[in-house]
Amino acid sequence: MSPNRVSRVQLLLVMMLLVVLQFYLRPRLWDARVSPDFLLIALMLFAMRSSPGLAALAGFAVGLIADTLTPARFGAGALAHTLVGYLGSWGRAVFFADNMLVNAAFVAVGLWVRDLIVLLASGTDHRQMIVELTLYSPLQALTTAGFALVVLITFRSMFSIRLDS
Amino acid sequence: MVSSSDRRYTRRDTVLFILCLGLSLFGLFSPTPWGYGVADTLRETVLSPLVWLQTRAEEGRTSRVRFRQVTSERDSTAYLAQFLPSLRAENERLRQLLRLSRRLNTGYVPAEVLHQPQVMDGRTLLLGAGSREGVSVFSPVVSPEGLIGVVLSVSGKSSVAMSWAHPEFRVSAFTVSGNAFGVVAPSNEGRNGEGALEFRGVPYRDSVPLGTLVLSSGLGGVFPKGVPVGTVIGTVREEAGWERVYRLRPAANPGSAAHVLVLLGGRTGDLVSAFPTDSLLEALRLDSIARLRRADSVVQAARVARLARRDSLSRVTPPQGGTPVPPPQRPAQASPMQGGTPSAAPAPRDSAP
Repeated sequence: MSPNRVSRVQLLLVMMLLVVLQFYLRPRLWDARVSPDFLLIALMLFAMRSSPGLAALAGFAVGLIADTLTPARFGAGALAHTLVGYLGSWGRAVFFADNMLVNAAFVAVGLWVRDLIVLLASGTDHRQMIVELTLYSPLQALTTAGFALVVLITFRSMFSIRLDS
Repeated sequence: MVSSSDRRYTRRDTVLFILCLGLSLFGLFSPTPWGYGVADTLRETVLSPLVWLQTRAEEGRTSRVRFRQVTSERDSTAYLAQFLPSLRAENERLRQLLRLSRRLNTGYVPAEVLHQPQVMDGRTLLLGAGSREGVSVFSPVVSPEGLIGVVLSVSGKSSVAMSWAHPEFRVSAFTVSGNAFGVVAPSNEGRNGEGALEFRGVPYRDSVPLGTLVLSSGLGGVFPKGVPVGTVIGTVREEAGWERVYRLRPAANPGSAAHVLVLLGGRTGDLVSAFPTDSLLEALRLDSIARLRRADSVVQAARVARLARRDSLSRVTPPQGGTPVPPPQRPAQASPMQGGTPSAAPAPRDSAP
């Protein structure tokens, strides 16, 4: 098995770990609105290392999961995550994405944009949208970026690959 | 210049992106039941392990919260249980007071003892009943165990009672056997810091055995006759060969009394029956047992009579196609009501020869 394939398998294991954390650890943490979104961490870390098409596909899958498990408007999550994944993959080319802090910032911005698109697509009331975007989304973006940083530090060697090369 | 491989990547990416975007928009603008149907299907199939995982996590979180709640409830219960013995004791004392009030043949007023934090609290007691309830000066104060003291001063809603521990307290008393009279006063030589009483002025020739109950005699017109004052537990001194002084263990403790009865009027009455001694209680108990036995014997006699009646009826009933057979003569059986012993065994049934 080639080293590249080993790294891909390892990355897949980390993604699975994040999925498990999303459904097993997240409910035990703080309030659901500010606790970190592990699925978005996985999506952003994957998107920054893969092609835009795959990132959009992964975003669509994550969004489908979100739409299935949350009572928000069906399709809004898929649309938001697709766009975030696609833009995250393109953003790698614009910014210097090998820095861990930049990676974490990408995650934070991606979460906020995701929330913005979901709220717009769901037809949320303006007042509630302002509260969400100015209070809860930034808080959740901070916690998510923090956990993303922890993941990046812990599995540094596994995230040093480029999936589209 | 973009290479052919880069262009291929770009086309594929664009196609995938447009495809995902189209599907998302389709889901977004499709009828709501369709969306719910797809979500339900995915939740029941592909995502069921994730839902199960989240359910376990929620249960774990709920268990933790529940554990905290149970712990706090247990602590609260333990805290409340600390007061249970005192509540039981107070309940028992109130029951005793209730029984005493039923036995009293004089008027009375129930009063709460408002204990004060001073060290001299046991000598004078503040009572929660005053002249409005009918309490007057020199009204006797009793508890279920016996004499507590006498009312010294009265105001509208409260009164002050002098307990037997007060140095000026005196009560004329006699032994329950009636062979010795004297005056009971507080003793200066209490044991282990507990208050004690002295039974003074008992003639030298009248010997009082240990354990004898001393009651108020009713002489003097303050305390009614028959209220327990204390029990003889020893001799204090014998003065000049003409008087004995006995030490008494007080019947009632003013320091722990929470509720008392203030007797109204009839200070010259006889309260011996209201404070039954041990022997009287024993007699009452035996009497109740005898009543129960009598009731049992009556019930048993009725049962025997019923059996005998049924037996005679079965004998009188003619057998099929035959003539009635008179019952054989049986010896007369003494009735339990007449002092006879009833037979518990059922009457023998007749058998056709």
